[in-house]
Amino acid sequence: MTISLTRRRTASRPPAVQPSGSAGSRQWVGYAFLSPALLLFVVFVAGPFVAAIVLSLYRWDMLTPAQFAGFGNFTAMFGDPLLYRSLANTFVFASASLITHLVGGLLLALGVNRLKNKVLSYFVRTSLFFPFVISWAAVALLWKYVLDPSFGLLTYYLGRLGVDTPNWFNDPSWALPSIIGIDFWHTIGFTFVIMLAGLQTVPNTLLEAARLDGANARQTLWHVTIPMMSPTIFFAAVITFLGAFQIFDPIQIITPQGGPDNSTMSVVMYLYQKGFQSFQVGYASAVSLLVFAVMMVVTLLQFWGSRRWVHQ
Amino acid sequence: MLQLLGGAAVLPAVGGLAGCGGSGGGNGAEGSGKGTLTLAYLGDATQQAAFKALFADFNKAHPDIKISATGIASGDWATFASTISTRLAGGTQYDIVDVATEGQLLMSSKNVLEPLDRYIAKDKAVVDAYYAGIDPHLKEWTKKYGSPDGRTYFIPGGYNSMVLYCNTEVFAKAGVELSDDGQWTWEQFKAAGEKINARTGAYLTALGDGAFPFGDIMPWLLTNGASTLSADWKQPTFNSPQAIEAATFVKSLLDAGLAPKLGGTFDAAAQLAKGKLATLGGGRWPTLDMRRLKIVDKVRIMSWPTKTGPGSPIGWDGWPILRASKNKAAAWTFLKWLMTKDASEFYAKVGGTNVPALTSVAASSTFLSDAPKGSELLAAAIAHGTPIPSPKQGAAVQRAISAGWKSALTGLKPVKRSLDAANEQLKPLL
Repeated sequence: MTISLTRRRTASRPPAVQPSGSAGSRQWVGYAFLSPALLLFVVFVAGPFVAAIVLSLYRWDMLTPAQFAGFGNFTAMFGDPLLYRSLANTFVFASASLITHLVGGLLLALGVNRLKNKVLSYFVRTSLFFPFVISWAAVALLWKYVLDPSFGLLTYYLGRLGVDTPNWFNDPSWALPSIIGIDFWHTIGFTFVIMLAGLQTVPNTLLEAARLDGANARQTLWHVTIPMMSPTIFFAAVITFLGAFQIFDPIQIITPQGGPDNSTMSVVMYLYQKGFQSFQVGYASAVSLLVFAVMMVVTLLQFWGSRRWVHQ
Repeated sequence: MLQLLGGAAVLPAVGGLAGCGGSGGGNGAEGSGKGTLTLAYLGDATQQAAFKALFADFNKAHPDIKISATGIASGDWATFASTISTRLAGGTQYDIVDVATEGQLLMSSKNVLEPLDRYIAKDKAVVDAYYAGIDPHLKEWTKKYGSPDGRTYFIPGGYNSMVLYCNTEVFAKAGVELSDDGQWTWEQFKAAGEKINARTGAYLTALGDGAFPFGDIMPWLLTNGASTLSADWKQPTFNSPQAIEAATFVKSLLDAGLAPKLGGTFDAAAQLAKGKLATLGGGRWPTLDMRRLKIVDKVRIMSWPTKTGPGSPIGWDGWPILRASKNKAAAWTFLKWLMTKDASEFYAKVGGTNVPALTSVAASSTFLSDAPKGSELLAAAIAHGTPIPSPKQGAAVQRAISAGWKSALTGLKPVKRSLDAANEQLKPLL
């Protein structure tokens, strides 16, 4: 039976073009095409990763010979309160980023998707995405001006309304939320575009069927749109968390010391300070491996949890 | 901007008559060398223009030696030292790196610098003449803090102190007279600020948040007999009663609305030019802003106001030869050339951001012309100045000091508690 099916299928198709050369040489052609990407991966990803593992076992200040420290750098991490603080800050930032981006991105996508006027729709899409193409350095400086405690635009306009503004970046209870807000403004366009793309893949037939069955807008959203978009939402959740966990640029520019009372010290900023300012390269490498492990665990948990809610 | 321009000096100045003699190349002290020298220095775009002019001038005198220079626009000298260390670790080879006070001990402790003693011995007359022409403090401090193992690693260059640039029109408008000798006390300074603020609406001064200790913190501590560290940089003294008093006074300026709130983007030079700021702290570097803003004539330099006595942080740059240099003879030729009076004058003329080490150049019209009245106070401050504390863990020390100061000024914690906490953080770093 199998043989006959195969024959029939073969007979019904035009003959495939056979590549010339032996299988071995074809393999090498494939490797040749792969090699630039592979080379970049080895030089910029795999190599540094292995180097970080090796360096984490040493004490090295960059200029004098490294000394083997075994797992000393890792055990030192357990007694480092600033590392815990920076990890906690990073989790707060990443969690806030995850929630605000997913909710905000989805709501914006739903809103824009309903726009009938094409010109307006394109304008809104472009406007929302535009901040994302601006470099973090420019965004950080721009918001430093906007939130200047003496001369900032926000201070000025809220002041005219009789509202006292806090010293955003110098008040420990406002510094991290301010960075979260700036990050939302800068990055929401990216999540929005992903959500919009996902939204447009929801089959119209399902939406029409739901309407015919009498579902209202909320029920359609909850029982049709979101389940159908769940792979997109999952994708956005994974990359948003991974991106947020590596936050560095705006914090370094806006609050270069890690904010008042270390309130904006992120774990990547901490490892940067340890490695390149305190010259504890081994310790910084150990922290980088910790960051890798945390991100890996959280991502695996996301994948594990996705089986319960992501539409397959 | 203040941070970008840095606390310590940027270029060396001079001394006696440098011989450029010798012949041939080689890797040792002998000969004048030839080929290309790789050099790194801290400098933003404006400073790079001055450095490029200086290197071009050197090349005129020594056509066989080219200079391939990298200007690194680090935010401060501690970051510059970190950047250089990273580059050295990454395999970048420099013949010469201009190192400010904040990085000298770090560099000399890492065995990456060539001892200069045999070069100095070979050209003793040149170096002796140079040392004879500079303030003796510079030689002493360079040795004590930059070359603690008994060998000599740096030729000291120019230096910076801290003074106040005052907009005389704002003072006149408020009816506040500036004393002829350029001296005032904290109380007089604050009283002037209250009058100015009430009568013109201008801020008295722009206070930094502590991220630049050279300008934000040290002048206040030193004019009250305090400092962040002990004289040997082995013990933190950031919570001494005098330091607490200094921080409390600075906070009172903020609380009284005599300075803009911290954490903003206040462009002090531009606001000074507009008459919305009465004084601006700095070393030699704001002079370039005054020239750019065309307000040299309406600005006057005053000494930093005092509580117990005069005081100023002093930062200076040092010029070493890297141990890995393959062209040490040419590098030494360059260092010798930097010790010439011509080089010092040329650099001062093209826009140097420091006080020339050679006393004669610092007192000359080359340095004092096209500069605010009272510029001689910059050089005078070295007599009562204190080297900016710069231990090996400079960046981490700076971070702790900055955080403590900022915490005190913003009221995050009471002043004493803020400085106590910072002092505790400093102990394991020294």
